Amino acid sequence: MNRRVYLDHNASTPVHPEVVAEMLPYFAEVFGNPSSVHGFGRAAREAVDTARERIARFLGVSPEEIVFTSGGTESDNFGLKGLAWARGRGHLITSQVEHHAVLRAGQWLESQGFAVTYLPVDGYGMVDPDDVRRAIRPDTIAVSIMHANSEVGTIQPVEAIGAITRERGIPFHVDAVQTLGKIPVDVHALGIDVMSFSGHKIYGPKGVAGLYIRKGTRMVAAQHGGDHERRRRAGTENVPGIVGFGKAVEIRAREMTAEAERLRALRDRLWEGIRGRLDEVQLNGHPGQRLPGTANLAFRHVESESIVLGLDLRGIAVSAGSACTAGQVEPSHVLVAMGVPLDWAMGAVRCSLGRSTTAEDIDYVVACVEPIVRRLRQAMPAGTT
Amino acid sequence: MRYSPTLIDHFLNPRNAGLMRDPDGVGQDEYAGCGDLARVFLRVRDGLTVELRVQTYGCGPTIAAASLASELMTGRPVDDLLHVKPEEIEQALDGLPEDRKHAAEVAAGALRAAARDYRTREERRV
Repeated sequence: MNRRVYLDHNASTPVHPEVVAEMLPYFAEVFGNPSSVHGFGRAAREAVDTARERIARFLGVSPEEIVFTSGGTESDNFGLKGLAWARGRGHLITSQVEHHAVLRAGQWLESQGFAVTYLPVDGYGMVDPDDVRRAIRPDTIAVSIMHANSEVGTIQPVEAIGAITRERGIPFHVDAVQTLGKIPVDVHALGIDVMSFSGHKIYGPKGVAGLYIRKGTRMVAAQHGGDHERRRRAGTENVPGIVGFGKAVEIRAREMTAEAERLRALRDRLWEGIRGRLDEVQLNGHPGQRLPGTANLAFRHVESESIVLGLDLRGIAVSAGSACTAGQVEPSHVLVAMGVPLDWAMGAVRCSLGRSTTAEDIDYVVACVEPIVRRLRQAMPAGTT
Repeated sequence: MRYSPTLIDHFLNPRNAGLMRDPDGVGQDEYAGCGDLARVFLRVRDGLTVELRVQTYGCGPTIAAASLASELMTGRPVDDLLHVKPEEIEQALDGLPEDRKHAAEVAAGALRAAARDYRTREERRV
């Protein structure tokens, strides 16, 4: 069997062993419903409270400002719709490179009578804060801009945007699913009012995420039922998941800085290695303002899915920048918004590094990429795409 | 694995890949939905396809389908190429996932186009 190298950490991460250990008692031993008043319930409640406190401490916010949800998509939907519904009507501003959880929630809000502006980005995938300022209308009720893009890793000028929204008194939602636990996120300095973040991107379990809601921000509840999550999100809490999420965040607090440095060096080693061996390859995204472990590489005149398949057969997991579904190709909406030409965008491959990635892994990937791309290019008709 | 061992083998080791000098027929087909493209070059002697070359751009299954089709059709009468159906290529690939059926269609389309081109050239010669 080939060596196995996982370079898809922006999609998901393995649960940290310490997180697994922390979660295990909460399946069969401490299984009570946190809403129950008896001892079983109180033990579960205590665990949920501890996790909430850990996350709040990491964010520098109050525990009451954290709501647990089922995932980043729910958090994004809750963030946008919760802000919109609380105001009844109006205009929202977001960008063309958001995650589909934000884009499609925005489109749905349009179908419900809200107006939404989708701001363009520059060639690096970055939103211009002046565009945000210009897009604000008297009836603008919310701005939602992601902290960092999952595909190309570009970090948005959130602080500058937050200063504008704060000055205008407009609630600011930030999708920080790809940044919390990877780079510093200071909701106060960045002017964030509502923020989505997720567990399984940071070595926590799937099915659990969070939404930070700054005290005093008017929001409509995500779902109705019991009094859970201070009546903002009804439903029995996912206790093992929340416990694991809290532990994952605690681990990130101690590991994040050193790991970011390590990943930055490995990411650059990957890019330099590939660039040194192949022509017509480019790095998509901002060269500096970028997630430490993310490299979106475009191989001109090669179809990205065939690279993904070729690497998969060598035990390497990366993700394709363009997806071919039922014969319909969809170049990434992020790369399209960045103005990446089709012959480059079609050959985009995202490598996202993580805790387990080693220099040997990177060297192996570089050695495997070269023959695959050369072979694909040789078999390709000249002048296509 | 989502794909058959036959498909993987042809993807990793494409047969008859490349250009042909002075072919007797050339044809290509492109799947509009995703831009996958195959180009086929033919050498014909006494009505038989004695040599095929293929160039492909696309996902793994398309590369494999064109490669396999080139092997499948070598030595066959041009008439077979004129009427080749994607199902024959798919069957020889030991199946394709529902969302990758276009791979066999592109390969079959390119073979038919090359055979038609050969026929047109023949008619001109006569």
